[in-house]
Amino acid sequence: MEQPVTVAIIEDHPVVTEGVASWIRSDPGQRARVVRMAPDLAGLRALPQPSADVVILDLELAGTLVTAQIPELVAAGYRVVAFSGHTDPAIVMETLDNGAHAYVSKEEGRDHLVEAVLAAAADRPYVTRSQARAMLADQQQARPVLSQQERQALLLWFQGMSKASVGRRMSVSENTVRQYISRARAKYAATGRTAASKDALLARAIEDGVLKPGEIIPYQSFARGAGDPPSLGLPGR
Amino acid sequence: MTTVQPAAIMSGRYQRAFTLAVLFLVVGWHLAGAGGQLLHNGPAYGSFAFQAAMWLVMALAIAVGSVLVLLRGIQGRRAAWAVAVVALAASTAAAAASPAAQMLAVNWAWGSAGWTGLLVLMRRRFGELVLFLAAEAMATLGVQAWDGLHRSDLAGFLAVLAWSTGAQVAVAAGVRALDAAAGQAAAAARSEHIARERAATAEIVRAARHARWLALQESAVPLVAELAAGTADPSDEEVRTRCAVQAARLRRLLAEGDEVPGSLVHELYASADVAERRGIAVEIETAGPLPQVPRPARRAITDAAIAILTEARSQARITLAAVAEGIAVSFVADTGDGVLLPASGDEIVIQQQQDGYMFWAEVRWNSQ
Repeated sequence: MEQPVTVAIIEDHPVVTEGVASWIRSDPGQRARVVRMAPDLAGLRALPQPSADVVILDLELAGTLVTAQIPELVAAGYRVVAFSGHTDPAIVMETLDNGAHAYVSKEEGRDHLVEAVLAAAADRPYVTRSQARAMLADQQQARPVLSQQERQALLLWFQGMSKASVGRRMSVSENTVRQYISRARAKYAATGRTAASKDALLARAIEDGVLKPGEIIPYQSFARGAGDPPSLGLPGR
Repeated sequence: MTTVQPAAIMSGRYQRAFTLAVLFLVVGWHLAGAGGQLLHNGPAYGSFAFQAAMWLVMALAIAVGSVLVLLRGIQGRRAAWAVAVVALAASTAAAAASPAAQMLAVNWAWGSAGWTGLLVLMRRRFGELVLFLAAEAMATLGVQAWDGLHRSDLAGFLAVLAWSTGAQVAVAAGVRALDAAAGQAAAAARSEHIARERAATAEIVRAARHARWLALQESAVPLVAELAAGTADPSDEEVRTRCAVQAARLRRLLAEGDEVPGSLVHELYASADVAERRGIAVEIETAGPLPQVPRPARRAITDAAIAILTEARSQARITLAAVAEGIAVSFVADTGDGVLLPASGDEIVIQQQQDGYMFWAEVRWNSQ
């Protein structure tokens, strides 16, 4: 049997820490194990070696947003799953751009947190509905080009359908839906600032056959091209 | 629009009152002042008939000028100057026809011409009035010089210039000051009106929010108290449903930044409120900058929302997403069975799908 994934919970509200720990404990496969709980990042910083595979990071510690600390954690060898009460797409995108593997809002925690942690440990994409929402709402210049199917799958997933229902709607298998969504997420790992975690995610996606290296095209190379129709790459096309 | 009108009307009313005051002054002067002098000095003029004719020409100019300022307010340059030039010409002709030695003593026309010019030029640029009064003074001085200028004549000329033209300039300045004050009063009234309206709107929004908060006090607070006291058991399905409903309401209350009445999100919130009273946990989420949706499409969307929320058993999720050239509003709810939705129509496409217990529908509005 595989070793369980080790998890550090950085969260300043003891009740939430306890809740997260209980979700991890109640996982039927016991696939993850909490090795550390702390109200701030000082303890992790003091350690010479990463002490856990995945850090579940509350983005607001003692009233301060800590999205800017994510690159440091990633550089130290941690995989970060953001767990936050915020659902503002701008914060979600910033968190992902800074190198977090996944974003789980507090409302989504029970259903998605453990799965997101396991996916992160394997460097695989995990896209929650709040993350899909932020990707759909993204208006940044440097956003990646998503195919029509990828956008449609993201939209239906954001709307609240199960992945099986999304598959029925799009006349594809549930597995293909996962591929579409993972591919969209992997494309984001190829844009913005560089981070070891994003490279790992991308490498894994290529290894898994989710994405071909040639499919990674940043948005702006199209939009800025002279003579291109201006509608190219608009949302929903 | 209604906020602008009262101020404009108010300012217009003040201005009209000032115009009437000046009009009475001009007409009064021409009848009593100029007319009196004309009659008093009657025998002194070479031709009384010519002087009387010029007086009538001046009266006609005043009449035309009055109609212009009363009907058109601040009239155009051409009409104003036509009246002014007629007054100037009549006054110069009257002065030229007066006996040389006592021109200033018997002159009735200078004052009238000045007042007439003031009447039509007072709301134009101040420079135009000054130009007219200067031309009027120069014309009279020219006539005087033609007749032979003596030191006593020059002194008389300056005396008349001082009191007549001085008075006219003072009145013009007064009218401008009063106009400005009226404009300020009107602007103040308008901004006060707007501020009052804004305060009233804010108060309505605040009251609605406060009412929801109070309702939460009655529903969420007792639930938390029961949980704390252990009388409500989280493993009980009913308690969990109550928690989900209260949590959804709290989230909505916190997320509500929308203060635009009549928007689609607002209307969907209202539909969700009704469902929540039946114990349905409703989530509403938006993605992307949403376009303004016209009323018929909004109605189709909220009709679908009501139909679906009515059939929901315990939970519903409503999302609004910006899509190319429109908006996709979707509903996912545990209705158990399908829901009868209105047919697609102009600019509106409705799709639905049933997966076991869960029902999905999407209403897409396309602006094209």
